[in-house]
Amino acid sequence: MKLTRRDFAAGIVAGLAAPHIVTSARAQGATIKIGMCAPVTGPAAESGRYAIQGAKLALEAVNKAGGILGKQAELIIEDDQTTNPGIVLAFSKLAAQSDIVGFLGSIRSTQVHAMAPDVLKLGKPVMIGGTDPNLTHMGNPWLFRFRPNDSYSGRVIAEYGVNTLGKKKWAVLHSTDAFGTAGGKALTAALEKLGSPPVLDQGYANQSQDFTPVVLAIKQSGADILGSYFTFENDLGIFARQLRQLGVNIPWVGSPSIVNITALKLAGPALYNTYGVADYAEDSSEASKAFGKLYRDAVKVAPDNQSSWPYDAVTVLSAAINKAGSTDPAKIREAILSIKKFPGAEGEYNFDQNGDGLHGYNIVKNDKGKIVFDKHIEFND
Amino acid sequence: MDLVLQLLFTGIGIGAVYALVALGFVLIFRATNVVNFAQGEFSMVAAYLMVVFSVDLGWPYWLSFLIALGGMALLGVIFNLGVYYPLRHRTFLPVIIATIGASILLSNSVLAIYGPQPQVLQGWFDTPGIQLGPVYLDSQYLLIIAVTIALVFFNYWFFEKTLLGKKLQATSQDKEMASLLGISVSTMIMITFIYSAVLGGLAGILVAPVLFVSIQMGSTIALKAFAATIIGGFGDVAGAIIGGLALGVIETFGAAYISVPYKDGFAFLVLVAFLIFRPQGIFGERVAEKA
Repeated sequence: MKLTRRDFAAGIVAGLAAPHIVTSARAQGATIKIGMCAPVTGPAAESGRYAIQGAKLALEAVNKAGGILGKQAELIIEDDQTTNPGIVLAFSKLAAQSDIVGFLGSIRSTQVHAMAPDVLKLGKPVMIGGTDPNLTHMGNPWLFRFRPNDSYSGRVIAEYGVNTLGKKKWAVLHSTDAFGTAGGKALTAALEKLGSPPVLDQGYANQSQDFTPVVLAIKQSGADILGSYFTFENDLGIFARQLRQLGVNIPWVGSPSIVNITALKLAGPALYNTYGVADYAEDSSEASKAFGKLYRDAVKVAPDNQSSWPYDAVTVLSAAINKAGSTDPAKIREAILSIKKFPGAEGEYNFDQNGDGLHGYNIVKNDKGKIVFDKHIEFND
Repeated sequence: MDLVLQLLFTGIGIGAVYALVALGFVLIFRATNVVNFAQGEFSMVAAYLMVVFSVDLGWPYWLSFLIALGGMALLGVIFNLGVYYPLRHRTFLPVIIATIGASILLSNSVLAIYGPQPQVLQGWFDTPGIQLGPVYLDSQYLLIIAVTIALVFFNYWFFEKTLLGKKLQATSQDKEMASLLGISVSTMIMITFIYSAVLGGLAGILVAPVLFVSIQMGSTIALKAFAATIIGGFGDVAGAIIGGLALGVIETFGAAYISVPYKDGFAFLVLVAFLIFRPQGIFGERVAEKA
């Protein structure tokens, strides 16, 4: 066969145009893409795996039900390395893909803070699990939260201790890091509002090897109930054991780490009969139970908030896009904010104008090592 | 008074942990003139070895203990051959950097194998503790204190009364002279590394039931043990013990009577005071001689 000049020119043109045609066809989309930043490596790699599983389960359900805007949905995952620079890099890689319509950020507030300026610049909806109240109150309209923020946990602990357990003399114990300090302040403020200011407000530094002085201070304060914000499970484990060894057996209501699987393993019987606030509690609703069963069957481990919030995030985002009938970011935003009484694994979603979907916590009890749902406390403000 | 006694017991208990790790620092410093920044990781590795044999494989506690210490002896040999020996003719700086590198390698290797979640290791005794009047005595702390006291006597006997101990002392004081007297310096340094790794491992195994087994456990203790070593006088075995115990008691009482969040601050405040007013530490004469 003889190659003419015309054939050669046509070949060149076809060669140059082909990738563009393929990309453009892809952009117009066989699938709808959702980006996800998750810790595939780094200290939180284990919980990152749970988060990815949760998101994938939701995606499967969405696709089975007809997908998004009649197309199948696809999850594009980038490793955030459990670090702030890692998530900024991961998000920038995802943001460069113009066909991604929405994103899942992190459960860690500090990482969400790190990526927030890029989110604002991109102007597309990002679902988050970080619980620092500021995240949805700093003028970034593209962040939507799928866990109750920390201002609610303090109020729920206080409300439950004072009104359900009937205890008025509180010892408040908290880590001195950003999470613990904010939590301790929220709990103290809520107690003051309920007319029971704490008799002891005690901070501690993370990675303490010994809590004897803290336990003795609680003993001497005459407190009849303990509220706590622990950041690390090993601190919680050491404290719990020493508390019981030194004979302090007052009721104890703690932040979510008190019902964390690792904390239960480390502290064992020292945490029996304690209470904790939990954003995910398997028996708290039909939707939570359904997610729990689905997750157990698929992943073969107990579900927790690491997996439940990405599950809800993908479900709600897909529903919002379908409701909006478009992938236009502004329309998706409006659709998410209009979601009310949506039953999720984490609870009932009623989005406010700040982007917060949940406004209460579950109270669970450690019944001889088994976490049992007690009650849900919801706030309207 | 009850409060003081309880705090004193806890302070001595936690101080004994610092003292055990500090001993490892001192022995290696005396033998090689460098600080081994992987000493804390020796404790962590031994605790994880206990988890492997005692918890995962379900072997008897005493057997797991012996195997873990045997593993630490082997790690001491590898550490000496891989980290110290190739750099023995260089200045102290490359060796110190190599120990920091080894520390990062050890902690990340364990992280890669075991993951970031802390593990539980049961104590030697079934009884968690005993109530003696107003004071609760944690059985694991009692064991730690007993082992520390036993090690004080063992070290005295070993270094002062045995030929091997004297050879080790001679090597640490003057390597050239020891070599001229027919002592194999490299063998003595090898033995020192083995002994230090075993001591660090012993501290890790003893403290694991109290502080749990985690990647960070070694570095947290080592930092305090390092301070204890400086307070006691770098290079002195008795100094390491006294420094560790003093640090434990000071930080416990400081936390109880002044401020809990600044507990670590008290330990390092004492360290700074010593560096300013008595840099050679409590038992510092030998360091002055070496310098």
